[in-house]
Amino acid sequence: MKLPTDLVRMYKEIHGWVGIISGLALFVAFYAGAVTMFETPLQRWASPPPALASAPSLQRTPELVAKALAAHPEAAKGYEIHLKIDSANPARMSWTSARGEEAEHGGGVKHYASLAPDGTLQVATGGPSEVAQFIDVLHQQVGLPFPHEIAMPIMGAIALLYTIALVSGLVVLLPSLVSDLFALRIGKNVKRMWLDVHNVLGLFSLPFHIIMALTAVVFAFHDQFYGAQGMVFGGQERAGRAAMSAAAPPRQSLSPVQLVQRVKAQAPGFTPEVLVYGQGRGGLPSLRVQGSDARHGMRAPTYGMAGIDPETGAITATDYMPGMQDGWSATITSFFALHFGNFGGNAIRWSYFLLGLAGAFLFYTGNLLWVESRRKKERKAGAVEQTRATKILGALTVGVPLGCIAGISLTLAAAKLLGASASYGLHSAIYYAVFLGATAWALSRGAARSGAELTLFAALSMLAIPVSSLLAGSRWFDTASLVLVDTAALALAAMLFLAARTAKKRARQGPRDSVWSHREEGPQPV
Amino acid sequence: MNKPLSSKDWFGKSSAGLILGFTLALGAAGLFQRLAGVGDTFFSTKGQFAMWLMSPVWAMTLSFCFMFRSTARAWCWLAVANLAIWAIVLLPGGSHP
Repeated sequence: MKLPTDLVRMYKEIHGWVGIISGLALFVAFYAGAVTMFETPLQRWASPPPALASAPSLQRTPELVAKALAAHPEAAKGYEIHLKIDSANPARMSWTSARGEEAEHGGGVKHYASLAPDGTLQVATGGPSEVAQFIDVLHQQVGLPFPHEIAMPIMGAIALLYTIALVSGLVVLLPSLVSDLFALRIGKNVKRMWLDVHNVLGLFSLPFHIIMALTAVVFAFHDQFYGAQGMVFGGQERAGRAAMSAAAPPRQSLSPVQLVQRVKAQAPGFTPEVLVYGQGRGGLPSLRVQGSDARHGMRAPTYGMAGIDPETGAITATDYMPGMQDGWSATITSFFALHFGNFGGNAIRWSYFLLGLAGAFLFYTGNLLWVESRRKKERKAGAVEQTRATKILGALTVGVPLGCIAGISLTLAAAKLLGASASYGLHSAIYYAVFLGATAWALSRGAARSGAELTLFAALSMLAIPVSSLLAGSRWFDTASLVLVDTAALALAAMLFLAARTAKKRARQGPRDSVWSHREEGPQPV
Repeated sequence: MNKPLSSKDWFGKSSAGLILGFTLALGAAGLFQRLAGVGDTFFSTKGQFAMWLMSPVWAMTLSFCFMFRSTARAWCWLAVANLAIWAIVLLPGGSHP
């Protein structure tokens, strides 16, 4: 396809700049996002064996609820009955004590209740590991340790740069599309090879990237978008938010067993997982069922939901119920589902995992190319030494991605080694210590030396995941399929070991003026 | 007039894309609300769709605004596009669809 050369040249420059500004943040977002595809299994993998007595049967659940509400009246405002019990959902009943802002973002202290063999109430605070949630937030905030309301607009700006990068990258590639598309020139010219890899990855995952960019813009700015619409077009935001007020627990409600039967009869194919009891307007009982249905996309990352009449068990609100939505709701849900990859079961989750890793790699190769072209430009201008800016960017290109990989691996491994004492804050501290340490190491040692060293470090960190499993023992595996977590970590560790070897070789034998070159016998810079 | 395109005037063009692109996106959302008959609560599913519409319009304006020959042209043409869409949204029947 023929395009004016000035247009292509302009977009090439724009592509380089928006790419280098957003590339490292996008790497963290995509790597953490790929890991988040398995948030639920990771949470089970990382959660210690429950300390409570095993959950009472669903038939005995009304007894548990009555005892828990008698001892903890504040739980009547809202509690959950878990239909699926595993190490991530270790109790039949749970509730959260949180107020206002905290509750909006899923904060607060979570309580879990069970019945001891003699029928007495047991309540524990805290339980399942929060490491998977930490990685999810890291993904949402493109790796920034700021409060939500500061990090989200920055993420939105990155997402806008990312759309510009996609459009400009496509414009640059179009003229040579036919000749370059299936050419993967692996050979002497390493830059050519990286460019080919970058182009192939970018073009073939373009639909995935367009989805991610446009949905991320909405996730960042939906409050502003709604606010602007409200300001200009009037109207109220919601039909009135459900008021939370303390009142007696719902009476005449069907029992959980009956409710599950009624839901299954009305929605075959839908697997109910959680019953969420709350209080709607005027203290009236409200009830919601959360669950999954692999045949449909879902509104939340891991579940869809429906409003239930607690007295009859009839499904009353279907806006977010997989398979029962009207056209508009289903369309909106499809936007969320396309971002979350929560349709079609495990095949789609693995595909999204691989696409996410490929995306992270795309940004990494983009950064490599930028550093490499800077070197060529500077050479032409007569500089023999790399400039400071190129050196710093080269170091960051190595330190940030590898720091992110190592940080996530080590904070995951820590979940098993620290057990019940591993809090959200501790996981965050471990991640950022490793991440900042790796970045500082790269800056002080330079891209060439730290490239090989940090890749080795990332490989060893990855290896810490299966090692922590071995140390913690089989009690932590509440299902055998969780071994897949350790297997995937082993495979990634092996790839990182290979990469470390190649990086070392290149530092010794590659072109001497490259940022990747480090030769012991070379002349010392004056 | 056929001065070659260049990335030198990126700031003027991209600020036009950022600001007028946003108002254009808001206009597109308003247009959709009018056509689809979104009522009082814009958090209805159609209202949500109108909000989602803003993301592609804004992001694409920002991505393609560099193709204008100059900063002045970017601001002019995007202003004209804004006028056109807002005229349809606001003029007949007031701002409340």
